[in-house]
Amino acid sequence: MHLPIFTHRQPADVAGVVSALAEGSGAKVLAGGTDLLVNMKHRIEMPEKLVSLKKVADIRGISLEADATVIGAATTLKEIRQNSELERKFPALFQAAMSVGSYRHQAMGTLGGNLCQNTRCRFFNQSWQWRQVRSLCYKVGGEECHVIGRKHACFSTYSGDVAPALLVLDASLRIAGPDGPREAPLSALYSGEGRTPLTLGRGEFITAVVIPGAAARGKSRYEKFSLRGSIDFPIVGAAVWRGDGSVRAAYTGVDCAPVRASELEAELAGRELTDASLKRGANLAHKAAKIAPTSVHPVTFKRELMGVLFVKAMRAIS
Amino acid sequence: MKVLNVVGRRIPMHDAAAKAMGQAQFTDDLELPGMLQGRLVRSTIAHGRILQVDVSRALALPGVKGVITGRDIPDRVFGIVPKGKDEHALARDKVRYIGDAVAAVVAVDMETAEEAVRLVRVEYEELPAVFDPLDAIREGAPVVHDNVPNNTSASIRKEWGDVENAFAKSDYVFEDSFYSQAVNHAPLEPHAAMARYDPQSAELTIWSSTQIPYFLKRNLATTLLIPENKVRVIKPKVGGGFGGKIDMFAKDFCACWFARELLRPVKFVYEREEVFQNTRQRHPMYITVKTGVARDGKILAQRIKAHADGGAYNSTAPLMITLSCFFIMIPYRIENLFYEGYHVYTNKPTGGAMRGHGIPQARFAIERQIDLIAGRIGVDAVEMRVLNAIQPGEPHPAGFIINTCGFADSVKEAAKAIGWTEKRGKLPFGRGVGIAGASFPSGVANMAHLSSGAVVQLTREGRVNVLSGAADIGQGAETVICQIVAEQLGVPMEDVRITAADTGICPLDAGTFGSGVTVRAGNAALLAANDVRGQLFPFVAERLEASIDDLVAADRRIWVKDSPDRGMSLTDALQAYQYADRPLPIVGRGAWIPPTEQPTSLLTKNGNFSPSYSFMTQAAEVEVDTETGKVTVIKMVTAHDCGQPINPMLVEGQLEGSIIGGMGQALYEDSTCIDGQQYNPSFLDYGFPTAMEMPEMESVHIDTDDPLGPFGAKEAGEGTQLAPAPAIVNAIADAIGLEFHRLPVTPAMILEGLRKKQGKAEGTDSSPFYRRHYKEAGVEPGDIKTFEDIRKVPKIEKGMFRDVQKNEPFPYGDMLAVPREKITIFRQPLKRWSGASPK
Amino acid sequence: MGKKTVLELMINGDAFEIACAPNMTLLEALRDKAFLTGTKRGCDTGGCGACTVILDGEAVLACLTLAVEAEGCDIRTIEGIARDGKLSSLQETFVEHGAIQCGFCSPGFIMSATAMLAEIPSPGREEIRRHLAGNLCRCTGYAKIIGAVEAAAGKDRGGEK
Repeated sequence: MHLPIFTHRQPADVAGVVSALAEGSGAKVLAGGTDLLVNMKHRIEMPEKLVSLKKVADIRGISLEADATVIGAATTLKEIRQNSELERKFPALFQAAMSVGSYRHQAMGTLGGNLCQNTRCRFFNQSWQWRQVRSLCYKVGGEECHVIGRKHACFSTYSGDVAPALLVLDASLRIAGPDGPREAPLSALYSGEGRTPLTLGRGEFITAVVIPGAAARGKSRYEKFSLRGSIDFPIVGAAVWRGDGSVRAAYTGVDCAPVRASELEAELAGRELTDASLKRGANLAHKAAKIAPTSVHPVTFKRELMGVLFVKAMRAIS
Repeated sequence: MKVLNVVGRRIPMHDAAAKAMGQAQFTDDLELPGMLQGRLVRSTIAHGRILQVDVSRALALPGVKGVITGRDIPDRVFGIVPKGKDEHALARDKVRYIGDAVAAVVAVDMETAEEAVRLVRVEYEELPAVFDPLDAIREGAPVVHDNVPNNTSASIRKEWGDVENAFAKSDYVFEDSFYSQAVNHAPLEPHAAMARYDPQSAELTIWSSTQIPYFLKRNLATTLLIPENKVRVIKPKVGGGFGGKIDMFAKDFCACWFARELLRPVKFVYEREEVFQNTRQRHPMYITVKTGVARDGKILAQRIKAHADGGAYNSTAPLMITLSCFFIMIPYRIENLFYEGYHVYTNKPTGGAMRGHGIPQARFAIERQIDLIAGRIGVDAVEMRVLNAIQPGEPHPAGFIINTCGFADSVKEAAKAIGWTEKRGKLPFGRGVGIAGASFPSGVANMAHLSSGAVVQLTREGRVNVLSGAADIGQGAETVICQIVAEQLGVPMEDVRITAADTGICPLDAGTFGSGVTVRAGNAALLAANDVRGQLFPFVAERLEASIDDLVAADRRIWVKDSPDRGMSLTDALQAYQYADRPLPIVGRGAWIPPTEQPTSLLTKNGNFSPSYSFMTQAAEVEVDTETGKVTVIKMVTAHDCGQPINPMLVEGQLEGSIIGGMGQALYEDSTCIDGQQYNPSFLDYGFPTAMEMPEMESVHIDTDDPLGPFGAKEAGEGTQLAPAPAIVNAIADAIGLEFHRLPVTPAMILEGLRKKQGKAEGTDSSPFYRRHYKEAGVEPGDIKTFEDIRKVPKIEKGMFRDVQKNEPFPYGDMLAVPREKITIFRQPLKRWSGASPK
Repeated sequence: MGKKTVLELMINGDAFEIACAPNMTLLEALRDKAFLTGTKRGCDTGGCGACTVILDGEAVLACLTLAVEAEGCDIRTIEGIARDGKLSSLQETFVEHGAIQCGFCSPGFIMSATAMLAEIPSPGREEIRRHLAGNLCRCTGYAKIIGAVEAAAGKDRGGEK
């Protein structure tokens, strides 16, 4: 399967990336390539220009800034997995990173790339040939969603492992762009909609992820459910964090964006964590997401898993 | 186990080092000057007439050298089974499934060829499609092939003994239905072919990733309309087949066609998606089994009905359904059997031979039902299998000649190795053990003329060259043949070179299917090696003044048994042979066909199917995560009777690979087809087991020595993929008390089953009405374990319901098992059922 | 066709000049331009690991690496593992343990395992499994492959080479 034609740039610094992204109309960042290049082979993404991060200085590596941990967005998932400090302080991040795809994907894939991965759907993530059987779907530039049968709507599912872990760790992003750098909470990255899942503006890209020191003063865990022990995206993934009397929970694989389970969190805020209270929380988990049948796995199954994985994760850190 | 000088030893494959260095050449590794790349245009509808194919834009693309459609090629169908031929290389008038090949393009490179595919426009008249065999057999269903109006393109109905009579005499009769899913072979090497045409000799040469070089040759000749002696098929290294490379494919035909038209070499390589959708798959099957047993579990009769989802074309249909029928007759003694099986066309990807070839599906059904029956009548599942096991040498109801059979031993050994007595029914909830038995032929005899030839040359300097038609696809056929020859001639493996399979040079072999290669090609090589011995050894015997029967050969030396100093080196012997003016090289030849009493008559008469049969039992221990439904296979044990293994390490390799494949079939794999389109044609979405899924695997060798196999060997490639799936599903039943009748068993199914079970339990707990009656009967629902126990269940009569309705709240009384707010509708029939009043 | 430039790729210590457009993957460059066909194409979308090569010491998927991005890197393929005609310990144990059947997945496994052993000389069995889980094999059932890697680790530790 040959890649479509594109031009390729390898800027040497962040400013170079921003200007390369901002010029013309169809430019995308190339980080590890494990998501984008597959989509390009399938011709569901056909950027005119790829702006590689390979030679960009200063966006790779793990450092401390006062109390906060700063991870360059081009840091590979393998580098995260191999960092014992990260494993100790932010187990959910460690567990999420080491569960992404296979170890080959982790050697290539980056933190930023994993966060920005495109949403997924059984009608979308298919080759050009496969998709000729029906009209172009809304996400690819057509009119209709084949999952729900509605026009001008997209319900594709966010399926990255790392995002829910970083959400419960209260992470924020450093974003470079034509109007200068900005910071934003991770949750603000996601539009909550399937066709344009990210809120990054033209010319913007993530340069770093910042995890506040307070996150290390709680316990966290990422619980991934997939059929196989490698290669698979999560069917449902749940991340939890508990500390200072509160519980945070976030999910992937259940909505167009990774989601925080706010009703569950509200239920458990300030409460003693017992089997009964955890079960009550678990029963509220499914309210965090609108699960669409974008995969072959039954929606009811995913819904049930949300509660199950929450309890499993909480038990593991009690 | 026989361990000789070479045979019986754990020897690496002769080409393992080359493969480890990346030097082994697979079809896509080959390149010829001026070579063009080809790609296929495929149907986007499941069923329809082809109205128009517009190739003009594709032809106009720079770099495109040719485009053809079904109308440009001869109107000739192909198929691996002559009576089932029904497929054109490129669809001519109709497309019959999403992905049916409609046109082919060749270009100077792959990028251009892919672009050209996108420029071909096809206009169809869409026709109604049918996607389930049970729908396809109904009156009025869409007709997939006009010459098969009822869509049933192959069928078999056979009875042995008198089934109805036997049912009448049975103490119990049970009927259960099962479903086995579409599984893809998923060989790591995609299907590929490269062809070249020589206009001077008018000879076509094709290198193809195939399991059947000689059948491919025949089909190419027929479809290309060229004489068979002008087609040469060379099999390079093949990266796995598992049955999926048994057949000609569009890539073979089109590579040849364009090579001849354009006088340039042409290569076609399938995308992974095409391997999933457009080659072959294991037939999904609906199977109903009705079994009559005696009180002790002895099987008296079976009646089986099977519908195989054939997809759009036949491939091996008549053979597959026949095998599925006949191999119910082993490993258990079934005196009375009625089998009816139907291969039904649907507008879906085509089914074909896949490791086990119709038998895994039947085995799943039968082995599951044995456990169900054992549970219902209160008999141990292991004992029931031993009770019904075939014994060697006894007369067989279908006329099979079973010279060696270690089945009963294999059941006991597998049970012992998994810890059956300590574990079955005794492990904590969520953990369980299960067992299943199987048997497989070592090649088939009475189905066609399936023979094999070999030539062995012993050169002046003691090198051995073997020519064989055996198609090694990674299972080690070439290595096993070399071992046999090396053993017979007393040389080490490194002195033997094998050339296989090149139809222009090597003698015929039928191909790698039916697990017949070791027996068939091995025996041919053995005969050829013995022919060489027969020329050299009398000469050596004379020189050593010994009887020929007293000669021993090993390590490049020939000597008199028990007198090692009375001998000579092989090279000395050959030199003496030369100086005695005997002709060199010494050439031996052999051809072998399984003994056949009645040729090709299996559908009408009983007879022996195969020279020998392997037997095995597999046992699994599983752990079910009852919160998520995920199943972990902790251990798989195989007790295996494959006769005398020529190479125990290769046999283990077959076993271990089979197990993972069987596990995939049980838990992970399913070519999910919705409205005729596969939703997971990729390694990402199709549940191909990874190293993380691998269980602990143990194998126990059951020693038998087969008279017909070379050195006593029987098959070892396919039988071991029959029992893992039922063993695992049987283990799941032991672990969580849920009986699954379909594959794969997914976490979602398990969770749903567990919830229902819990709900039922909660139902009796929270319905005061039922609680009352159970209490009065002195029974708990958990007490109901066997068929006999059903007599304990309290009988609820109509009058009881009437009484209950006298109490509040009307009309439920105390019958409700759920809160009243959950009820949305209440229905009560106004009339009694007409006819017999309820008893 | 995209605009071609000439790249210099360092493959197994040798410099290869390759003319290609940005949309050529490293896998295509290796197989179609450098004629190093030991690296295999099993699926072209990162799902099987048959295309594993070692790039600057990391085992990566060549089908999802752009050739242009491999310029300036140290690229090792299966052809570069045996030295002076002698198999590496891992290649030897693969052969001896029956870890190779059809051989199509073997180069990918050997590359993944070689990279792993360079980083982790004494891996535990679970670690080996996780490192190799991105390489699919349909023939062997993985048991002998893992055994071969364990044996090679033991050999290298014992000083044999």
